[in-house]
Amino acid sequence: MVAPTGEDFLVLAGISKRYGGVRALENVDFACARGKIHAVLGENGAGKSTLIKIAAGVVQPDAGHMRLDGNAVSFASPSAANAAGVVCIFQELSLLPDLSVADNISIAAPPRRFGLIDAKAQRRRAEALLTEIGCEDVNPLLRVRDLPLSRRQMVEIAKALGQRPRLLILDEATSALTSADVERVYTMLARLKAEGVAILYISHRMHEVEALADRASVFRNGRHIETFEKGARSTAEIVQLMIGRDIATQYPSKPRRPRPQPALRIENLSWEKRLDQISIDVGAGEIVGLGGLDGQGQKTLLFALFGVLRGVTGTVSVNGRPVRPGSPAGAKAPGVGIALVPEDRKTEGLMLPMSIADNLAIASLDALSNGPFVNRVKERRAVEGGISRLQIKVGDKNDAVSTLSGGNQQKVVIAKWLMTQPRIVLLNDPTRGIDVGTKQELYRLMRELADQGAAILFYSTDYDELIGCCDRVAIMYDGRIVRELEGAELTETNIVASSLNIDAASSAAAPARVAAHV
Amino acid sequence: MTAVPANLILSRDDRPIVIAALFIIVILIGGTAYTWMHFGSAPLLSPNYLLQQLQIGSFLGIVAAGMMIVILISQIDLSVPWTLAAAAMLATAIGGPWAIPIGLAVGLIVGIVNGIGVAYLRVPSMIFTLGINAVMRGLMVAHTGGFAPQTAATDLMRYLAAERTFGIPNALFVWLAVSIVVVVILQRTALGRYIYAIGNKEAAAYLAGVNTRRVTVICFALCGLTAGLAGVLLAGYSVKAYQGMGDAYLLPSIAAVVIGGTNILGGRGRYLGTLVGVILIVLLNSVLSIMEMPEAGRQVIYGAVIILMLLVYGRGERVTS
Repeated sequence: MVAPTGEDFLVLAGISKRYGGVRALENVDFACARGKIHAVLGENGAGKSTLIKIAAGVVQPDAGHMRLDGNAVSFASPSAANAAGVVCIFQELSLLPDLSVADNISIAAPPRRFGLIDAKAQRRRAEALLTEIGCEDVNPLLRVRDLPLSRRQMVEIAKALGQRPRLLILDEATSALTSADVERVYTMLARLKAEGVAILYISHRMHEVEALADRASVFRNGRHIETFEKGARSTAEIVQLMIGRDIATQYPSKPRRPRPQPALRIENLSWEKRLDQISIDVGAGEIVGLGGLDGQGQKTLLFALFGVLRGVTGTVSVNGRPVRPGSPAGAKAPGVGIALVPEDRKTEGLMLPMSIADNLAIASLDALSNGPFVNRVKERRAVEGGISRLQIKVGDKNDAVSTLSGGNQQKVVIAKWLMTQPRIVLLNDPTRGIDVGTKQELYRLMRELADQGAAILFYSTDYDELIGCCDRVAIMYDGRIVRELEGAELTETNIVASSLNIDAASSAAAPARVAAHV
Repeated sequence: MTAVPANLILSRDDRPIVIAALFIIVILIGGTAYTWMHFGSAPLLSPNYLLQQLQIGSFLGIVAAGMMIVILISQIDLSVPWTLAAAAMLATAIGGPWAIPIGLAVGLIVGIVNGIGVAYLRVPSMIFTLGINAVMRGLMVAHTGGFAPQTAATDLMRYLAAERTFGIPNALFVWLAVSIVVVVILQRTALGRYIYAIGNKEAAAYLAGVNTRRVTVICFALCGLTAGLAGVLLAGYSVKAYQGMGDAYLLPSIAAVVIGGTNILGGRGRYLGTLVGVILIVLLNSVLSIMEMPEAGRQVIYGAVIILMLLVYGRGERVTS
C-alpha cells in the first residue's frame, strides 16, 4: 500500500463498489502522484474499470472517500470530474462518427462568437491539439467516420488533451493504435509527465507498461494487491500477481510438419481499391496470421471472405470447391463453413441486452431447430457445451451478456461460432482489450481448433501474438500481401520492416526510439 | 443482472406489464365510482359490458399484434390504416367464399411490398410505409369513386366478427388464435429469436449469419396480414366497409404496443404486455365515453396517459440499469 504523501494528487480510501451481487471493488486504498505515470494492472474483471469510473465520476462508490489535490471530493457526474481536471480516454471510442474531427475535439465547450460556434477558432484549436500529439496530418475537417481506427483513437486523445487535464486516465487507449501512433502517445505522455500531470495508465500490453510506467498497482478480484516502483518486480512476477497462478509458456507450441493441403485457397481477390490481387492459402490445421499496420486491408479481406462485401473479384475455394458467399448466412452454410469473429464485439459480435444463451445459439439455430421450432433440449445442450468448452465464467446463462467482463464476452462470440462447427475460422483481432489469462486460453483454443482440422486466418495488431501463435504470417500493405513470413523469418524485425514495406535495416530504429522517450 | 431474488424485483420486461395492469384496475375503479355516483349503477363491472368492450378491442388487438412484430425489429408500419381499409373493401367487393382470402391476401401483399421496400430498397420504414398508405388510399378512392362502397360483408365475416358462441364474441376467439400464433413465433421459433436479435443489434445479427432481409420482409408481411384480418373482421362487424375505417387504428395500435412495455426502438418486449396495452386503451376509451367527455378532452387525456405511462417506464429503466 502507498501511504498518502504530500505529492499524492488523487487519493482513494476504503472505496467499495458493488453491482448487484457482484463485488467490483472491495475496500480499496489507492493513490497516484503528480508527474508520474502510474500503471494499473489486472485481469478483466479485476476492478480496474470500476476504479477509473469512480475517479472520473461515471459511477459513485458505495463506501469510502476520495481526495483530489488534498481536498475531499465526490464527483456526481463525469462533467464534475472534468471540471476538477480529471480527464479520461476510454477504450471504447466516444467520438461522434458523423461530425468532423474539429467538432468532436471541441464538442463539450466549442469556442463561440456572437453565441454561435466559431468554426474557424474550432479548427485552429483542433489543429493545435493534433500538432501537439504529432498528428498534424489529420485534417480537422474530415468526418471521424472516414478515419481509420488508429487515427480516431488519436483524435480521442487530442480531445482529452483539449480539456487540460491535471489527472489523465488512459484506459486501454493504445489497444487500437498502430505502432507509429503508439510512439506519438509515448512522446506526449513523457511531456505531460514533465508538466506535472498525474497519469493513470491501463494496458494489457506488458511491454508498454514496462516502457512507460514509473509505478504500478496490481488489482485482483476487486482488491488492490500491491503497488511497486518501476523495476521492483519482473514481468513474470507481475503476471503472477495478476492471475495468482503460474504461467509456464505463453504460447502453445507449434507442430513441426510439412505444409498441409490448403483448405481455404484465395486467388487474385480484389475489391474496389482496398484489396489488390490477394492470393494466399490456409491449410487445414494451420494458423495463418495477417499482419501489417492497421487499416492496410486486413479487415476488408476478412469481410470479403465472409460475404459482406459486394463486387469482390477473384476466386475463393474451400476444400477445392469454389465458393462465393453473398452474405454471412451464405458463408456459414454447411457446404462452406466459414466463421468470422468480428473486431468490435459490442456492435458486431453481440446483442448486448440479450441473454448469454440467446447470443450463443443465434448462429446455429438452423441446426438446433426442428422445422421452424427451436428444439429447447438441443439448444440447452449446445449452449452448455459452448460455455464449458471455452470455460466462460457465467452465473446464469439467462443473464444479459452485457453483465459479463470483456474477456468472457469475447469468449461468447467465439463459442457462438464454434457451435456452428466451422471449417474456416476468421479472427479479427480477437484479443483486443482482453486480459492475459483469457488471451492464453484463446491461444490454446486456436491451436486446439487447428489440430482438429480447422483452417484459421488470424488478424492481430499485436506482433508478439502473431509470432507466438501463427505457423505463417502474411503482411499486408496498402491492400496487398507484401510478404509471407515463416519459421525462422518470423521475427518482430521482419514484421515491422514488411509492415512499413521497407527493408529491415531502416526500421530497426523504431523500438529503440520508444525507449528513449521514457 | 442482479443477485436480488427474482421474485422481489420484477424483470425489466415485466415491470411495464404490471404497471399497465394496475392502471387498468384504476380505470375500472374510477369509472365505476363515476357511474355509481351519477347513474347509481356499475356497468363497467358487468361481464356482458366487458365482453362487448373486448369484442371491440379484438380488432385493435389483432392490429397491435402485427405492429408489435414490426416494432420489435425497430421498424414501424404506418400503412396499417389503408391496408386495413383496402382489405375490407376488396373483401366485400369480391364477396362470396373468396371474400376473406382476398382480404387477407391484400394485407399480405401490402406487407410484402413494405418489407421489400424497407429491407431491399433500404428506404426508412417510416417513409416507405407512409407512402404506401397514401398509395393504398388513392387506389381505394379510385376503386370506390370516392363514395362509400355499396357492397356488404359476407355471412362468414359477420359470423366471425359480430356473433357469439356460448355467449362469447367470436372475434375474441380470432384474437386469441392470432395471439397464440404470435406468442409461439416469438418464443418458440428461430424466427422469433432473429426478430429480437435484429431489434437489438442488426449488424451483429447480420454478422451472425441471420438473413436479416428475409426476416424483415416476413415481419412486415405478418403485420400486413394482421391489418388485413382486422379489416375483414371490422367490415363484418360494421356489415360493410367504409372510407377511413382504419384511421382509428394506427396510433392506438402503436400506443398499445408501447404501453405494454415493448421498446419503441426494438429488441425488447413481451406479447402479454401488448395484450394488456390493448385492454387498457379500450377501457380508457370506454370510460371516457361513459363520462360523456367531449372528443377534444378525450384526445387530451388519451395522449397524456400514453406519455405518462412512458415516463413511468423510463424512470424504472434508469433505476434498474
